[in-house]
Formats: sequence, C-alpha cells, structure tokens
Amino acid sequence: MRFKKFLLFGLLIVGLTIAFAAEKTTLYYTTLFHSGDAQAMEKIVQRINQESEDMYVILVQGAWENYYAQLINQVVAGNAPQVGIVHSNMFPSMKDALTPLNASPAGDLLAKAGFSREDFYTDVWDSSTFDGQHYGIPLDTHMWAMWYNKDIFEEAGLDPDDPPTNAAELEYAAQKIKEAGYYAVHFAEDGVARKLMRAWYIFYWQLGGELFDGNYTKATFNNEKGLQALEYLVNSVQEWNWNIPGSDGFKQFAAGELGILFAGNWYYYSAENAQINYGVAKIPTIFNSPATWGNSHNLVIPKQATSNPQIYEQSMELIRRITELSYMWGMFGGHSPAYNESRNSPELLNSPVWRKSLNVFSLMAEEGYLHYPPNHPKAAELENAIQVHVQQAYNGTLTPEEALAKAEEECNRILSEE
Amino acid sequence: MKQRARDQWSGILFALPFVIVWSVFTLWPVISGFIISLHNWDPLRGSEYIGFENYKYLFTSERFWNAFFNTFEFALIMIPLTLIFGLLFAFFLYFSKSKAKGFVEGALFFPYLLNVSIISLVWKWLFDPDFGLINESLKMIGISNAPQFLNHPVWVIPAIAFASAWWLMGYRMTIFRAALESQPVEIVEAAIIDGANKWQIMFKILFPLIRPQFLFAMVLTIISGFNVLGQVMIMTEGGPGRSSEVLALYLYREAFSYFRMGRAAAIGFILFVIIFIFTLIAMRYMGNENKG
Repeated sequence: MRFKKFLLFGLLIVGLTIAFAAEKTTLYYTTLFHSGDAQAMEKIVQRINQESEDMYVILVQGAWENYYAQLINQVVAGNAPQVGIVHSNMFPSMKDALTPLNASPAGDLLAKAGFSREDFYTDVWDSSTFDGQHYGIPLDTHMWAMWYNKDIFEEAGLDPDDPPTNAAELEYAAQKIKEAGYYAVHFAEDGVARKLMRAWYIFYWQLGGELFDGNYTKATFNNEKGLQALEYLVNSVQEWNWNIPGSDGFKQFAAGELGILFAGNWYYYSAENAQINYGVAKIPTIFNSPATWGNSHNLVIPKQATSNPQIYEQSMELIRRITELSYMWGMFGGHSPAYNESRNSPELLNSPVWRKSLNVFSLMAEEGYLHYPPNHPKAAELENAIQVHVQQAYNGTLTPEEALAKAEEECNRILSEE
Repeated sequence: MKQRARDQWSGILFALPFVIVWSVFTLWPVISGFIISLHNWDPLRGSEYIGFENYKYLFTSERFWNAFFNTFEFALIMIPLTLIFGLLFAFFLYFSKSKAKGFVEGALFFPYLLNVSIISLVWKWLFDPDFGLINESLKMIGISNAPQFLNHPVWVIPAIAFASAWWLMGYRMTIFRAALESQPVEIVEAAIIDGANKWQIMFKILFPLIRPQFLFAMVLTIISGFNVLGQVMIMTEGGPGRSSEVLALYLYREAFSYFRMGRAAAIGFILFVIIFIFTLIAMRYMGNENKG
C-alpha cells in the first residue's frame, strides 16, 4: 500500500517535471573555451537557465584545437548547436557554415534582438560583415598588454607607477632590471612559436607594416619594416640578453623572476594566484604608432538543419541574454566585453579585475591598438609558415633576413595553390 | 564431411561478432579514409574527386618529408628504448631477491597509468631551461652549457622519445614479467647447473621463450611510435621551427586547422601503410616460427 503511494507520488513528480520541462526549449550552445574562460561561461549559462522560463541551455565546452572542424562537421551532419563561438579572424573560413543574422530564415534577427553596430566595439562588429551579410554578435576583445612586476621595478630603482611607454624607456628599464639580477623582458607569453609571431606582428604593425596585400595574393612583410621588427625581437635575446630563447615568460613572471611580460588579459588569474605584485600597462609604442595583437570572440548561429523560424528566434534570444550578461564574462573570464552596456556596467567597473587589468585593455581597444591576425581561409597555414621561421630567427638558427625570406616564399606558395 | 562443414560454420559463427565489430570500426574507416584521400573533401561546398593529387602533393612537399623523417627518427629512438628498458627491467625483477621488488615494479609501471597530457606537461617542466630539474641537475655536475632539449633542432626528438619511452615502458615490462614468470623454473635451474651465466640465461634461454609476448609488445610499440601526437603537441607544438612536427601532427593540422580533410586522410593512409609494413616485418622476424 505504502509502496503504491510512493510509486504514485514518484510518477506525479516525473510527470510534472516532464510537463514543466516541455515548456522549455532545449538549446545547445558549444564553445571552444577551456579552463577559466569555460568556468566563466558556465556561470553565465547557469544564470540564464535559472532565470529562463522558456529555454534550457545545454553548454558543451572544451577542445579548442579542433572546434572549428567539429562545427563544420556538425553543420554538414545536420546536427549543429543552436549557438556557437567564432573568432573574428575565422569568419572567412567559417561563414559558409553560419547563418547570416540579418537574413535568416526568421528574417532580420539583429532587428529582432535590438542590436546595432553602435552598441558594440565597432571594429569587432565589422569583422563579421561580409558582402552585406552579418554573421556574428561580438562577445569580447582580448589582446596583449604589458604586465610588469612592481617589486622588481622598485628593486631596480624604477618607478613602479610609471611603466615604460616607448623604446627608450623600455630599454632603460630592461637594463636596470637585468642589473638587479632578473630576467628583463619576455615579449611572448610562454614563448611558443605562435606567440613569438604575435610579438613580431606587434612591432611590425607599430611600424605601419601590412602582412599581406589587400587581396591576399602575396606576402608583403619581407621588407625593411619586417626586418626591423624581427631584429628587435631577436636582439632582445641574442644581443641584449633580456631573456633566453626557449624560456617560458608565464612561468618566469609567476615565479617572480621576470620584470616585464607581454601577455593577454587571460593572465590575470595566473598573476593573482602567483601573488605577484604586478601592474598592467599599455603595450609600449616601440616604433611609430601604438598597436597590439588581439582577437575577438563572437556569438554565432551555425546553419541549422531546419528552417523553422522559431529555432532561429530562440537562438538569437539566447545570444541576446549572453550579451546582456557579458559583464560577467569580464568579471570571471577577464575579457573586455564588446557590448558597450556590459562594459560600462557597475558590477564590472567595481570589480578587482577591472581595476587591476581590464581597464587598461579596454582603453587600448578604444584607442585603436587592436590589430587582428590575418583573416583569410588559409590564415592558419599562413601563420604556421610565419611562426616557424620567426621562432628559428629568435633561437638564432636562422638570420632574420633568411627567416623572412623563407616565410615569404612559403606564404606565397600557399597563396598560389588552389 | 557433414561434421566438417558444421565445424566450419560454427567457427565462422564464433568469429562473426568480432569480424562485424572489426569491419565497422576498423576496416570501414580505413577504406573510407582512403576514399576521402582521393577527394578535395569539402562537405560544405561539395567534394571533388581528384584521384591521387593529394598524394602527389605530399610526395613533392618539403613539409611532408620533414614530418616523415621526424616520425621515423622518433620511432627509431622510442621503439627500441621502450622495448629494451622494458625487457631489462623485467629480467632485473625476475632475478631480484629484494623485498622492494613489488615497490620497484609499481614505480616503473606507474607512469603508464597517467594520461599523455600529464606526462607531457611533467616532462615539459623537467626540460624547462629555467625551472627544469634536468638542466639544473646537469649544472650541478658541471655541465652548465647543456642544450635546451625542447628548443634545440637536434635534441628535441630524442628528448620527446625518451620521455615517451619512460611513459610506455612500464606496461611492456609487465607483459614481459608475466611471460617470464610463466616459464618453468627448471629450465633456468638446469642452465645454471650447466654453467650458463645470467646474460646467457636471459638472451639465449628466456628471451626465445617469451618471443610471442615480445612480438605483441613490439607491435603495440610500433603503433605508438609512428602515431605519436600528444607528446609533441603539448611539449613543443612541433617546434622549434618544424623540427618535431611528426606525421600525426601534420595530419592533425591539415585536418583541423586548415580544414583539408582530403590531404589529411592521405597522410593518415600513408601512416597506416607505414605501420602495416613495419608490423608485418616484426611478425615475420619475431613471429612464432613453428607455425603448423
């Protein structure tokens, strides 16, 4: 008898749950975020799930290396998530797998969500527009800035509240830090090839260089500016001994062994956990004009197997909610939100991450520092051709001239292939 | 006659579950991979049949040959290292009378329980020029200008191969240990009475007896050796330059970074052929010679 009651009660609960859940649409949202970023996005989605009466979001995160290939395969298999993430420079490769938001099966979703170009960092907004079609809603910008160890600055007789802003100041500071017995400068995070390439990009962009011609028919970096930029990077380890090739700037900085590190906004939590007394400043203008390497994440709707307008509307609704909560992306992920309202939200402006690091990144974005890596369907291959040669120059196994010539030759071959 | 036919059918029936699973999960992917490799594979915009163009491209590509030779260099260092160390430690434990035998065996086997990412991160840290134990230890014994193993075009592959051998050796050792323990002890005793020394017992008597297990371990290690990916990806990302870009990493990049599935499938098929040939050679020379 008792058992029957239990059974009935259990069935009632299950039934109610199903009935209640049936009102909610399940949406799949996949990202390429990992570690701290993934946790931040999880917080946002949890909040959406708590507050929503009409949708339940299943968040899948992880493998960033094969994320794009997987997304393409999911679209082909007719099994795409309703919302995904695309880096700004990946749009040329990915746009065929995405829904144009201004011309979706449900009409103009941008208008429906009430989003327009002026609501966001305009550079990021523009990065997802091709031939009048708009493919993404900007989530953030992330870029490199200069992290410096205030204690080392003080020990070296430098002013910890006045970090270097140009070549002369940087060289002076580096000399002083070296004399104090520390590694002076690391220009490239953990020093892997793709990071060394970013450091070279920064110097080259500061000289006003362009990596490729307008239509990507050929490489345009094997020139005086490219050489000057690469020599600066190479000299930092080979001539001036500010650091050693093959070293890991992340580890050196966290161990309190390094004075100055060029690194992205994601380094905030590592620097905090290492309990380093650090400051964050804009990338010094070593050459003619300010520039830094950066990229952005955008929220997208991959092509769906259905043309049911409701699915598109709900996907856009999810994007709208994530965008409105993107101040949390700043607070917990350390990224600068691309949505103006989120970036100026009191929660973010009063958070330690904003005070200690994000305000600088935000300022750099507003001041036009941000340069994107190549945005071409063959960008990944072109960048590989560049980075392996930059790294060899940095290690001293190729001269800067040879490295640029080889990188140019390989890039041109890649661009000339079908 | 009838009985024989029935026996044959029952044999086929017993083998069928495995054959089905193997066909679906091994044979078909290999065939389908080969089919993909004959296309400019682009499921979004439509794939185009291009015959052996992908193979032609690869065989004339400097990057492919670099990856090819890097893979061979890795395999030629890692496979013997893993097997020899596994075998020597198995013999050592076989003859050892020490009470710490169990602990030593556990310690040697332990790395195999760890994931490739953990192994790679640990060794990356060990090889770190600033904080790594290896360069630090070398400094202590007076070698202050030791190369940065993971940032040196010559040392990088041997360094990763050594780390991989350390990781995989324990499992091979356990296989050899089990094989040795199952041999009749009288054989060794007789050899000792006949005046054989330890080396003779090991390599003239015991080793021929455990050949089947050695073959199994060898095939396993050949596959691991040529398929190396995780260690290289995490420890060096194929660097410095492309000194440690192996075939599997090049395949991975062609597929998941450059979205050229056709070319990636061609690399995969070449890798399959290489592993297949080496496995056949191993079976031929190490296999059971008294086949009926």
